[in-house]
Amino acid sequence: MSEFLTVKDLVVEYSSGGQHVQAVNGVSFTLGKGETLGLVGETGAGKTTIAKAILQILPDPPAKVLGGEILLEGKDVLKMPEKELLTIRGSKISMIFQDPMTALNPIMSVGSQITEVILLHNKISEKEAMERACGMLEMVGIPRTRYVEYPHQFSGGMKQRVVIAMALACEPELLLADEPTTALDVTIQAQVLEMMNDLREKLQTTMILITHDLGVVAETCNKVAIVYAGHIMESGTKEDIFLSPMHPYTHGLFGSIPKLDDKSKRLSPIPGLPPDPTNLPEGCPFAPRCPKATAACRQGVTPNVEVTPGHFVRCGELVQKEVD
Amino acid sequence: MALIEVEHLKKHFTVAAGVNHAVDDITFKIEKGHTMGVVGESGCGKSTLGRTIIRLHDATSGKVMLDGEDITFARGKKLRELREKMSIVFQDPYSSLNPRMTVESTIMEPLQESHRFSKQEIQERAEELMDLAGIEKRLRLAYPHEMDGGRRQRVGIARAIALNPQFIMCDEPVSALDVSIQAQVLNLLMDLQEQYELTYMFVTHDLSVVRHISDDICVMYLGQLVETCPSQTLFEQPLHPYTKALLSAIPSTDILHPMQRVKLKGEITSAINPKPGCRFAARCPYATEACSQPQTLTEVTPGHFVSCCRVNEVN
Repeated sequence: MSEFLTVKDLVVEYSSGGQHVQAVNGVSFTLGKGETLGLVGETGAGKTTIAKAILQILPDPPAKVLGGEILLEGKDVLKMPEKELLTIRGSKISMIFQDPMTALNPIMSVGSQITEVILLHNKISEKEAMERACGMLEMVGIPRTRYVEYPHQFSGGMKQRVVIAMALACEPELLLADEPTTALDVTIQAQVLEMMNDLREKLQTTMILITHDLGVVAETCNKVAIVYAGHIMESGTKEDIFLSPMHPYTHGLFGSIPKLDDKSKRLSPIPGLPPDPTNLPEGCPFAPRCPKATAACRQGVTPNVEVTPGHFVRCGELVQKEVD
Repeated sequence: MALIEVEHLKKHFTVAAGVNHAVDDITFKIEKGHTMGVVGESGCGKSTLGRTIIRLHDATSGKVMLDGEDITFARGKKLRELREKMSIVFQDPYSSLNPRMTVESTIMEPLQESHRFSKQEIQERAEELMDLAGIEKRLRLAYPHEMDGGRRQRVGIARAIALNPQFIMCDEPVSALDVSIQAQVLNLLMDLQEQYELTYMFVTHDLSVVRHISDDICVMYLGQLVETCPSQTLFEQPLHPYTKALLSAIPSTDILHPMQRVKLKGEITSAINPKPGCRFAARCPYATEACSQPQTLTEVTPGHFVSCCRVNEVN
């Protein structure tokens, strides 16, 4: 499979008032066509920043891409002129934002919001565009008669489906979904995830799914990257991460979720708090909370080890063990 | 012995579109020292139920008993006393703390309000509470904006247990927190319960959290109680079609044994001017004519109550 998207050593920093927030610190991954990557991490880990960098919609200032490459079919998105980016956004790459309540324009009917996207990227008549927008609405399970209705007339789950319809209207090759179901109830979440899975299969869309919910990842993704303090700590196939997790942080995440089939009464949470991104610790950012950290973890660059083909773990302790 | 007994409790709100039956004829008990989990999707009335029990709302009709005493319409001095016996931990640790009050003054406020303690005692108790809730001493004079969500929620918990309440209503106390912090707070709540024999009502939409912490569970749908039983029974043998759908909708991290999903059509509607009968019938794959008749909560096996006239056919 040829690489569709390659992100290499991406570094993004936010700066304001003399403070520098190191949001993304050298993130690399590749995605083949039709693959789905789950970016998992806690609040502030840098997940959304990675997605926004790919779409080049980071607000500058305060955000600044300090280094790295984002190759979309071999072309570096970071070097593209704004004019070219405009033709890509919404057609080749599109994004589903986290909060359906604020992602829609409240004073435009939902149908015309979808039509707008289609007209912008296709040389077709308004009538044809409207017809396609109706088709999109039906595809996400909303009757076409509701084309003329406004966002406030829809429930949360339906608004999120409108946002998804809009994102898929131009049949993007890459879909960035930022917590698409976090604001929804579980039964609605199940409906939306199933719909996204169906559409993705039908349209062969490559997808990056950002979430903090490991269950959602297990059900939708075939690749997983665990993000912590702007670093990918561990990445690999879904089986690598769920069946043989290696990184202490990944273990910590799994230990923190109450399991439905687990009878034990106490959870084993990760002690402490995520690091302050304006002042990251030297060495491995997880070292201060890590039960296995050694003095070596607190300095220098943490090695990224490929433990089995495609399964990468950024952990110094692990390398030490292999040497021993 | 039951600490909380709720009988045919109703809480209706009059809104522009009609009458919202937020809590409609709910009956259950919470044993002393136990945790009752209340689950359901947004808008099902679970928070309203909790708030009506601890008297933040006045019930429309029905009865709430605390330790054998009817408190449904307690007023004045009696109600003030009740406030010391029942407390609440709110969902959002950002908006439930006064931004202009320090950690210490937030925790001391209920102690001062009770007029039972000297300055010295209040000071000592506040230190003890911070210790119990795992708040570092250096944060004594910190303001909420200086703390992360997990620490703020610890302040909310310290405040809730300040007056040694018997009953705490926890309204989605961990849903605003990241998973690693969520686990710390859940452990804290369970440790406190063990230490002080607290009785909890734990309202949440997160089913894995509720299973972890609860002894018994109530499942609500649009103001109605559809099923209640011990936690383990509910997860091993759910009987109501809604409970089955709800449980099967949880995304599972077990990638080797994917769950068979009960698919639901449509979305949760509203409890404004509802028709009689089962409110889940509109989405229920097993619904028939009989479901439009009012349903009664029936004890199917000892301790397992279900409100579904087709429970035998479905299972």
